[in-house]
Amino acid sequence: MNADTAAVDAVAVREDQLKLGLWMFLATVTMLFAAFTSAYIVRRSGSDWRHVALPSILWLNSLVLAASSVAVEIANVRGTRTAWRSSAAAMVMAFALGIVFLAGQVVAWRQMVSAGVYLPTSPHSSFFFMLTGAHAVHVIAALAVLGWGAVATLSGARDPRAWTSRMSLCRTFWHYLGGVWLFLFALVSLY
Amino acid sequence: MLNYLLLTVGALFVAGYVALAYFIWKGSRRDAIGPRFASKKTERLLSAGLGLGMALIAEGGVLAIGIPVWSEYFDAVAPADAIEIEVTAQQFMWNVRYPGPDHVFGRTDPKLVDDNSNPLGLDRTDPQGKDDVIGLNDITVPFGRAVHVRLRSKDVIHSFFLPNFRVKQDAVPGMTPEVIFFPTQTGHFELACAELCGLAHYRMRGMFNVVSQKEFEEWLKKQQ
Amino acid sequence: MEPPAPPPPPERPAHEDTRGFVRRYIFSTDHKIIGIQYIITGLLMALVGATLATLIRLQLGWPDHAWPLLEKLLPGGYQGGVMLPEFYLAVVTMHGTIMVFFFISYVLVSGFGNYLVPLQVGATDMAFPFLNMLSYWIAFLSAAVLIFSFFVAGGAAAAGWTAYPPLSAIAAAVPGSQMGQSLWLLSMALFIASFTMSGLNIVATVLSVRAPGLSMMRLPLTVWSYFIASILGLLAFPPLTAAAVMLLFDRHLGTSFFLPSGLVVANKVLTNTGGSPLLWQHLFWFLGHPEVYVLILPALGIACDIIPAFTRKPVYGYRMSVYCLWAVGALSMIVWGHHMFVSGMSPFTGEYFSLVTLTITVPMTIFGVNMLASLWGAKLELRSPMLFVCGVIALFGSGGLGGLFLGNATADMQLHDTYFVVGHFHMMIGGVTLLATFAAIYFWFPKMFGRTMNETLGKAHFWLTFAPFFTIFFMQHFLGIQGAPRRYYAFTAYDYLQKTRGQNLVISLSAFLLVSSQFIFIVNFVWSLVRGRVAEANPWRATTLEWTVPSPPPHGNFETVPTVERWAYEYGVRAPGGDFATQDVPAAAVPVTA
Repeated sequence: MNADTAAVDAVAVREDQLKLGLWMFLATVTMLFAAFTSAYIVRRSGSDWRHVALPSILWLNSLVLAASSVAVEIANVRGTRTAWRSSAAAMVMAFALGIVFLAGQVVAWRQMVSAGVYLPTSPHSSFFFMLTGAHAVHVIAALAVLGWGAVATLSGARDPRAWTSRMSLCRTFWHYLGGVWLFLFALVSLY
Repeated sequence: MLNYLLLTVGALFVAGYVALAYFIWKGSRRDAIGPRFASKKTERLLSAGLGLGMALIAEGGVLAIGIPVWSEYFDAVAPADAIEIEVTAQQFMWNVRYPGPDHVFGRTDPKLVDDNSNPLGLDRTDPQGKDDVIGLNDITVPFGRAVHVRLRSKDVIHSFFLPNFRVKQDAVPGMTPEVIFFPTQTGHFELACAELCGLAHYRMRGMFNVVSQKEFEEWLKKQQ
Repeated sequence: MEPPAPPPPPERPAHEDTRGFVRRYIFSTDHKIIGIQYIITGLLMALVGATLATLIRLQLGWPDHAWPLLEKLLPGGYQGGVMLPEFYLAVVTMHGTIMVFFFISYVLVSGFGNYLVPLQVGATDMAFPFLNMLSYWIAFLSAAVLIFSFFVAGGAAAAGWTAYPPLSAIAAAVPGSQMGQSLWLLSMALFIASFTMSGLNIVATVLSVRAPGLSMMRLPLTVWSYFIASILGLLAFPPLTAAAVMLLFDRHLGTSFFLPSGLVVANKVLTNTGGSPLLWQHLFWFLGHPEVYVLILPALGIACDIIPAFTRKPVYGYRMSVYCLWAVGALSMIVWGHHMFVSGMSPFTGEYFSLVTLTITVPMTIFGVNMLASLWGAKLELRSPMLFVCGVIALFGSGGLGGLFLGNATADMQLHDTYFVVGHFHMMIGGVTLLATFAAIYFWFPKMFGRTMNETLGKAHFWLTFAPFFTIFFMQHFLGIQGAPRRYYAFTAYDYLQKTRGQNLVISLSAFLLVSSQFIFIVNFVWSLVRGRVAEANPWRATTLEWTVPSPPPHGNFETVPTVERWAYEYGVRAPGGDFATQDVPAAAVPVTA
């Protein structure tokens, strides 16, 4: 085995490790939201449950988050076709939409507060703020990962194989949080 | 249940130590090891034997004795002549309430609570509460009848523990767990708190008195 | 289940270590240094925990006694020389929290886990060395926050290590529920973050950087136990994070996750509505139960690897033991309700938890008997590590049998929240994990520090630890049967508990002996670090990969990556080196027996 293939295999091992690490981290995050969800379900059965009206901007935020996931996918497709400029543009778009999502969440909170609905107002509002807050914290972390992917793309992705692996991590984390958002939104809106 | 466990577990305990001591004694005397492996058959037999044996002792105990008693205990419906008592725990005492001749507990409201004058928050305007008998740290019941206790708590989790009766149930704020049991002896028995509730958890003492029917009626009359 | 071993990385010449002191010993990314950092931190926290235990036993052995010296040292905790009940509760709470999370978990799980796993899988370091370093420093911060909580107004948390609300949620309910409880929750959150990083690292390392030829079923039981314990921790800790967030919100932001309506504390009606104290219990114990298995699995795995070095024959039933570890891990996640039989949860749920809890006895018994059977036909050398492992086997059986009582819901009604539980869990955590920790330290000290610990002191340490330990916690089972409740500042208020005075005295005296005996260990440890006899690479003639490198191993561990062609228990064979073959010995040189 010569030095080149050995080096490439070391990279492959590294990719596997990072992917493994991310999936296990996501398992942990899933357990966190599962715990919050089961607490929600338990609390929902209480006699004092009052559903508060949620700001309609949340729908817009959901669209924004979905759009950013689409942008990440576009970036991936363009990158596999080595169209680095459009790939980088799509990554920047995804990152920007992520920021817009967070801003939109802040707006939603402020709308709740100005309607007189705070964290302790009712069990439903308590869970709303807590769940959206927990999700937002993870989105901030994912933005860092997305930024890392965007930087790699911007620099022309000199090493396509490493870039693919990086993108895979970005996509997994980002779409996962998008999925978590859809679930949480459905939970606090419908149940 | 306890006797069954003490016997079986005791036997396993002794057997385990004897085996350990034997192996250690034998092993330190040896110059060379015995066979490196047991046969696959021995391994399988040991595992299966142990697994089934433990399952029998542990689960068997639960299935044969534990769960039937547990179900009987919790499925029990209080007999019609059971003495009804409400015990409201707080830091660090047991408020006791009897429903009086109308057999109905009067309304309470936390907003009416005053630790000095109205610890239970009784609604004095409720006619059904007028005949309630209120006490502190002292529960008296007549021998020969079942006891039905409704447990409440004003502040933190406490636990209603009668060691002599093997009765224990947490008193959880926001819930009203119930305990039904049948005293089999007369006497004066201590009531202890069995869930950490603060500074005086260790001296949250009550008395549970089982007396004759006549004594009980006299006592009740005196309280009213 | 067994992914193919990754292709071998290129051979590396032994490289020069050019790191400065800070990068080498303080902010090191070397798993060996990080492991030792965890161990030292954990041992220091153990000193705090042991001091707290001494204070508890002083109080319980001699209630109402005045201790003027203690009042001078701890003015906040004593009045008129007598310990204050609020201080007692803080001491009890912090003793439990520190011993479970900051002693055993730091030393045994994170410390030895970080040290041993890369070495035993033939790797140069963990999969994520930087994350590893981060995990240690966050762990350090977590410990610092907890110690700091002793010094805030109201003192340290005092609602038990289980922190049940409303007691832990309402500041007026007990002094420790002022800032102390919030700092406790913050410390826990940091701990969980650190543990998550550590756990991720261990799992990733075991799955991705094993040496060529080292398939999963050739791994030593030590590695298996850390692997499974880490997965368990990763999945079980988040509910406690969730619960801690909710409790912090209830405490400071007026929410009602755990606080029901109508609470009256200090003659004031609280405004909370509709929360459930039981919700905290479910979330806490969802972690709490697997947590104790996270502690005990490494203890058992380590015991299984130390045994063969002193019996000179393979461990009994390796495959079965691996399956048992998996079974115990999986089952431990669905039995948490056995801590809540009298909590007010549905009796039907209680039946379920009782039935499932007792199924854990099956794999645990098989595993325990496998350890015992490993002594069968042995040529036993009773050196210090082996003595401690014998103690592990003894206490595993003794303490484990107590589980049959507690898992049985009906029996538990009498025994819940009594000293029976205290005796049981101390035998398991204090007994099994503590003795295994000592065994691990005596066994791997030569490898870690290149020096040998004193054998005579080690033997003395064992006997002076095992005897009082067994006395204390065996007796406590009977205290529990007699109805002595937990967390009681004194037993003087009850007639039926007067007869426990003598027993408590004996327990307290034994406890002082137990604590003092640890000085033998401390002296041995420190002295041997400085002046111990220089250790060779493989003083115990053991087979796992860490014994094939120098003591201590160089940065990067292996000069050439080992190739593994055999399992970890090649003892009792005819080999050039003696009666054993290390895992890197090729099959051609010594026949492979499994």
